[in-house]
Amino acid sequence: MIKVSDISVRLAGRQVIHGVSFDAAPSTMTAIVGPNGSGKTTTLKAVSGELSPVSGKVTINGHDLAALRPWQLALKRGVLPQSTIISFPFTVREIVRLGLSASGTVSHSANDRIADDTLEAVDLAGFAGRFYQELSGGEQQRVQLARVLCQISAPVSDGEPRYLLLDEPVSSLDIRHQLTIMRLARQFCERGGGVIAIMHDLNLTAMFADQMVMMRAGRVRASGPPREVLTDETMEAVFGCRMQVNVAPTRDIPFVLPQSVAI
Amino acid sequence: MPRSEAMEGSMRAPAFAADIVREWRAGNRSGLARLLVVVLAVVAAATFVTSIMTGAADASLSNVVHWLAGMEGADQAPSVRDRIIILDIRLPRAVLGLLVGAALAVSGVVMQGLFRNPLADPGLVGVSSGASLGAVLLIVLGSSVFGPLFALVGFYALPVAAFFGGLATTLLLYRIATRGGQTSVATMLLAGIALGALTGAVTGVLVFIADDKQLRDLTFWGLGSLAGANWTKILAAAPIILMSLAVVPFLARGLNAITLGEAAAFHMGIPVQRLKNIAILSVAAATGASVAVSGGIGFVGIVVPHLLRLVIGPDHRYLLPASALLGGTMLIFADMLARTIVSPAELPIGIITAFVGAPFFLWILLRGRSNMGL
Ligand SMILES: Nc1ncnc2c1ncn2[C@@H]1O[C@H](COP(=O)(O)OP(=O)(O)OP(=O)(O)O)[C@@H](O)[C@H]1O
Ligand SMILES: [Mg+2]
Repeated sequence: MIKVSDISVRLAGRQVIHGVSFDAAPSTMTAIVGPNGSGKTTTLKAVSGELSPVSGKVTINGHDLAALRPWQLALKRGVLPQSTIISFPFTVREIVRLGLSASGTVSHSANDRIADDTLEAVDLAGFAGRFYQELSGGEQQRVQLARVLCQISAPVSDGEPRYLLLDEPVSSLDIRHQLTIMRLARQFCERGGGVIAIMHDLNLTAMFADQMVMMRAGRVRASGPPREVLTDETMEAVFGCRMQVNVAPTRDIPFVLPQSVAI
Repeated sequence: MPRSEAMEGSMRAPAFAADIVREWRAGNRSGLARLLVVVLAVVAAATFVTSIMTGAADASLSNVVHWLAGMEGADQAPSVRDRIIILDIRLPRAVLGLLVGAALAVSGVVMQGLFRNPLADPGLVGVSSGASLGAVLLIVLGSSVFGPLFALVGFYALPVAAFFGGLATTLLLYRIATRGGQTSVATMLLAGIALGALTGAVTGVLVFIADDKQLRDLTFWGLGSLAGANWTKILAAAPIILMSLAVVPFLARGLNAITLGEAAAFHMGIPVQRLKNIAILSVAAATGASVAVSGGIGFVGIVVPHLLRLVIGPDHRYLLPASALLGGTMLIFADMLARTIVSPAELPIGIITAFVGAPFFLWILLRGRSNMGL
């Protein structure tokens, strides 16, 4: 379980996060949504240990984040940043291997298999020999995801659940690959791991997430299962636009169409 | 070797090569990289021996070697002149070339990894001039101000002073050029120019107040040369350089991870701050020691890593040893050229490395302009 308790974060002298709390349980996909600049990325950085909150604390499986060393954290969670620019010409396989080198697995043959399987899982089989810098934006995003999945390839290790922290994992993907990646994250949860993903697509979120944390201006405005928090009122409160939330008749999943807003 | 084994060996060779090619196609250059490291080690050894055999004067290496080994085969005992040429002139020069070349190339790799930028080089961004300033400070103000330091560390004083000069510049540069874990190439290069000019100016003032003997000691920093190589210098520089060379392999995984950014490296379990501290210390130490004994020899730290990256990629586990070997080889080779082109006179080696390195630098700049944010 990742517990975020009442954290506040200051950036460049300005308080950006004000007392955010939520839990991300194993076997659960938790989605953070909210408008641009609402503090989603900053919150995730505090959860990953990259930023230390000025108050409040984050625990992962009961351990205080502040007390864990980088390599210990690297065995408990993997992080997909919102964007990654690399400075030297690595091939796709070499990038994915960087993730493996952080995974604690040492067996060479096991590593090679994990790398190949993961590339296949993100639909990049056959890309191993390509240069990262020569890939499209969406392909690069999937390579980075593959790297993170290599770092945390087993959702549970030594009886402890592990976590994926994903900052907009599908933001530059086409619709088919959005589904591929969301399914991959789902499977990770079904096998006992936990996922926290920052999302902009509310419909994908409603389809795949178990829990939603809706943020606005550095605060949590609503949280709970999509069917409870995706309402006309929260849409207006969080995003500031009047939109109608509907429910798909066949699957009982809420959806929002931008067409419902008055132009 | 028994025949069957020999045959097996010769049949395995092509299969081995095919393996490497197949792996390389699949994006795994580590087989090729390991092979290259071995090849470079052999080439380095060969260049080393060749450089001891060549020079303006004739001197028989084999005689000296036989004499040293106390073996029978020596036609005649080598003359004193031969012994001096080989053992006290050419050998220290080759050893120093190997050490300094390795130190400069490895400093280049580490600095480029740290700044996440293929153009970072101790010579270009002012670290070498900072180190020179340290050394010049010591020479000019040495006896009066640093007297106790002199007494304390003896002939290590010069490399140590150069180390602190290099360290101060590196730290300053890092502070200036890096914001929130991102380095701006333009800021780094421009700050490097400014720092180089500043340290150069201070050095100039010191040269102005230096006396004649000090001046003679100083002129040699401007150019960079292995001509002054002797065993005392090697004794002073080698421990520092070898220590840095021994430390950097432990940075390899961290430098690989930091290619994806400082945040990503932290996510992958790298203690980023410690990595940076050790990297900066080793760059300053290796550069400082090199500058102290051979002056500012430029461009080795840019050319060598860049060439190697084209072949084996940026994986620092292989890039570091390969750069050390190729850097040493290139410097010994450049020194051979320096000694023989205008023989019996001698060119400063810095001129040769600049002639090769500066156009190369421009080539990298033009080629990589689009993806380096320039
Ligand atoms: N390094 C920084 N220094 C100062 N302020 C920052 C910094 N990074 C982000 N901020 C500010 O903090 C706030 C929250 O930013 P954050 O990146 O967390 O937003 P976000 O919810 O992830 O937005 P987006 O949907 O655009 O990714 C914004 O107002 C932003 O301007
Ligand atoms: Mg964000």
